[in-house]
Amino acid sequence: MRHLGLALLLALLPHLAMADTPAEPRYSRIAAIDWGLAETLLGIGVTPIAVGGLENYRRWVGEPVMPDSVQDLGLRTEPNLELLTQLKPDLILITPQFEAARPWLEKIAPVKSLAIYRPDSNPLLTAAEVTRELGRLTGHEAEAERLISELDQHIAAVRAQLSGRTLPPFYLVSFIDDRHVRVFGDSSLFHSVLVRVGLRNAWTGEDNYWGFNQAGIEQLTETPDAALIYFAPMPLNAERTLARSMLWQNMPFVRAQRVYAFPPAWQFGGLMSAEHFLRLLQEALPHD
Amino acid sequence: MTNPSAASPRRWGLTICLLSLAMALWVLQRQLPLADLPAALWQPDLSDLAQLKVHYSWLPRFCVALLCGAALGLAGLLMQQVLRNPLASPTTLGVASGAQLALALATLYAPGLLIAGEWVALAGGGLATLLAFALARRRGLSPLSLILAGLVISLLLGALNVMLMLLQPMGLSAMFIWSAGSLSQNNWDAVLFLLPRLGLALVLITLLVRPLSLLELDDSGARSLGLSLDRLRVVALALAVFMTACVVSSVGVIGFIGLAAPTIARLMGARTLRQRLVWTPLLGAALLLLTDQLVQGFAGRLSELLPTGGVTALLGAPLLLWLIPRLRLSTARPQASAQRTRSLPLGGQRLLPLLLLGLLLLAVVALLLGQGPQGWSWSLDPELLQWRLPRLFAALGAGLLLGLAGCLLQRLTGNPMASPELMGISAGAALGLMLTLFVWIGAPFWVRLIMGFAGALLVLLVIVGFARRQAYAPERLLLVGIAISALFDAVKMLVLSLNDPRGQSVLSWLSGSTYFVELPTGIMALLAGVFLLLVSLPLSRWLTLLPLGESTPRSLGVPMRGARLGIMLLAALMTAIATLLVGPLSFVGLMAPHMARVLGLQQARAQLLGSGLLGALLMVLADWLGRNLMFPEQIPAGLLAALLGGGYLIWGLSRRR
Repeated sequence: MRHLGLALLLALLPHLAMADTPAEPRYSRIAAIDWGLAETLLGIGVTPIAVGGLENYRRWVGEPVMPDSVQDLGLRTEPNLELLTQLKPDLILITPQFEAARPWLEKIAPVKSLAIYRPDSNPLLTAAEVTRELGRLTGHEAEAERLISELDQHIAAVRAQLSGRTLPPFYLVSFIDDRHVRVFGDSSLFHSVLVRVGLRNAWTGEDNYWGFNQAGIEQLTETPDAALIYFAPMPLNAERTLARSMLWQNMPFVRAQRVYAFPPAWQFGGLMSAEHFLRLLQEALPHD
Repeated sequence: MTNPSAASPRRWGLTICLLSLAMALWVLQRQLPLADLPAALWQPDLSDLAQLKVHYSWLPRFCVALLCGAALGLAGLLMQQVLRNPLASPTTLGVASGAQLALALATLYAPGLLIAGEWVALAGGGLATLLAFALARRRGLSPLSLILAGLVISLLLGALNVMLMLLQPMGLSAMFIWSAGSLSQNNWDAVLFLLPRLGLALVLITLLVRPLSLLELDDSGARSLGLSLDRLRVVALALAVFMTACVVSSVGVIGFIGLAAPTIARLMGARTLRQRLVWTPLLGAALLLLTDQLVQGFAGRLSELLPTGGVTALLGAPLLLWLIPRLRLSTARPQASAQRTRSLPLGGQRLLPLLLLGLLLLAVVALLLGQGPQGWSWSLDPELLQWRLPRLFAALGAGLLLGLAGCLLQRLTGNPMASPELMGISAGAALGLMLTLFVWIGAPFWVRLIMGFAGALLVLLVIVGFARRQAYAPERLLLVGIAISALFDAVKMLVLSLNDPRGQSVLSWLSGSTYFVELPTGIMALLAGVFLLLVSLPLSRWLTLLPLGESTPRSLGVPMRGARLGIMLLAALMTAIATLLVGPLSFVGLMAPHMARVLGLQQARAQLLGSGLLGALLMVLADWLGRNLMFPEQIPAGLLAALLGGGYLIWGLSRRR
């Protein structure tokens, strides 16, 4: 028991020796638990030292590519504290989703929670706010402004390109299996992008905090003249079974050949994800 | 069955069938004008979406519900008949979870195999069944021990499943839905898949009717009529497993129809096997159809989110609770001698100091040895120890408590398969906590503590309520546990299938992560463990006498009711605290007392101490391994302990051959 007592004493020491941080520091060693914040950092020219769930980031977000120097922190809900301590970050970025770990993270470095997704707000606007905030925190204000204005210009360009054309409303989905999709509603990031370029979202139903709803594919018939965009990766066997599904083959958008297959794009991200989606949209639409 | 209701099976059965058909019709007429119905059913107008939906979505779903319900009912009936066990069913024997895990593994690591998904599922389900039998064999395959073994297998496979989900959250989102049994269809493939296979099974069953009905006699009677009982049992069980595997591979796990249909058929008054063979599939089909149409009719948009299989399981748990007092189970008390596991030739009592020393050594290693960006290292850095220490304390405390609770429960029930995990107390605490996470995401620790404890206490009250009515018969206590675990499992699956990102944090707690334990909590856990150990040591005399049956302890002056109630309360309290720390999933409470016996700690006091120490040892080991095996990814301690426990059980089986 004496061992334990000693160790206990050792563990309590850092609480007594916590140093004050200066008022407005410019952070450079940043650990980002959330992928949306991590990609935004890359977008303003800051490479985070560590990111949560890096392996899954590479599989599901892909772009922008995380440099090899970035350390994996393991599960985003439980970022590895021992590793994080040894990496000595000067700022840890989280979103409200990962708030549970805050008290623990705060013992390692100052923690900032930045929410791109908030109830009743436009994620494109909040993503811009978050980008500005990240620019301020890292001293990359100019780069942040540039990222925001480039996206604005890009949106304006696409909007101009599409004006005068009558385009259908779009369902934005990713397949969960061959019978179910995640369909993105009006609090999703990609919905805001659609609206900004003058298009409409075909899904008018409810969506949750993160902007999606889970639905059976037969529920995607409520807007008959709609088109459909789906994002890779496709679940196993889904393409094959969809090809043989009479219901799918007779969905109005399939019959009218208004189905667009998009490569992976992170639906829960920030401005970089929005930019990525916009690029995909631009590449896909002129070929109508 | 003790229900002598005079109602004929025909009247009741027809009522339920008609009710479900009426419900189906009601759901249907909300989708399209009834005038269009014939066209929609036979020759849908391809440009009319409503007709298309009915023809390619509603109608195949209707058929799949009927087929799956009938198949599961029949599978349950076959199992109950050949095992003479009123509680046997695809879910209670672990068949469904075996099939499910096999399919999940195939999805992740060998997707090519999924072309013959039913065979993958069959292999998994078959293996799970064999394991359950192997576990129960030593106790003479009595109905209860088989069901308990099935529960152990289901929990173990469930733990493996959760681990896959934790590590591959995105890749498996399909599995969240599927594992909860969504019946939704968009073509006729599933019907075409099920129809020939189930048809074949039905033909084979009709061939077996005569020999099966001879099983109504006892073994010797049947044998004297020239029946090869073993072969008949194997064939019938294989058929049941095959039907379950087909259902699982096409729509996922549908809980409890396989238990409910045959049981209700019997309660309705279907006495002979022939009667039951007719009414069970009809009832199974009607029940699943009714549930599914209710989900479609009333859940609105939620209907896609609410997998029917999860809902049936939710309804099934209360049914099981209701059934328990009405079941006539063989009440042969397990003999004390059955407890005397062959022990290793090690000195019993002298082992305790060694165990303590081992535990302390392990604790020091777990505290000081770990990984960082530069690989393995020993470290005394207080910045690192501040993370390891609370987790170590929590693991020590939780392991100690679980080991003690397991020992108390095994002594109390005289059943070496008893454990807090299997009594449903852990599941009760988990239900309370899950509720908290969804109502109040950022609930502080003390709120979660209270909610978890309330859940555990509620289960305890149910158990005590039942126990009082049943004069504390240990079998019934465990059955209540099974029902609660099933309920919990259904809720868990429903929650996960919602695909809500909050599901991730539920998942992490469910799998027993010590990540969020703070130092004061850890210290409290350890103190609680030591305190409750001290409280339970004076009970040694009762614990020595209780496994000897009813009369011996009574004649020696043990206040039976008080002693049992006291021990139960103590065990429940220990379980509740441990569950809050390391989640409901861990076999430490089952494993530690067993290991203690194998090591020669046979006397109550020695076994109690040994179980506590071994429990702590196991949990510390699990926590340390979990933190380091897949660094920086951390596998929760409870989950790893459950896997260790599963491995131990299987190893123990092969050793005894």
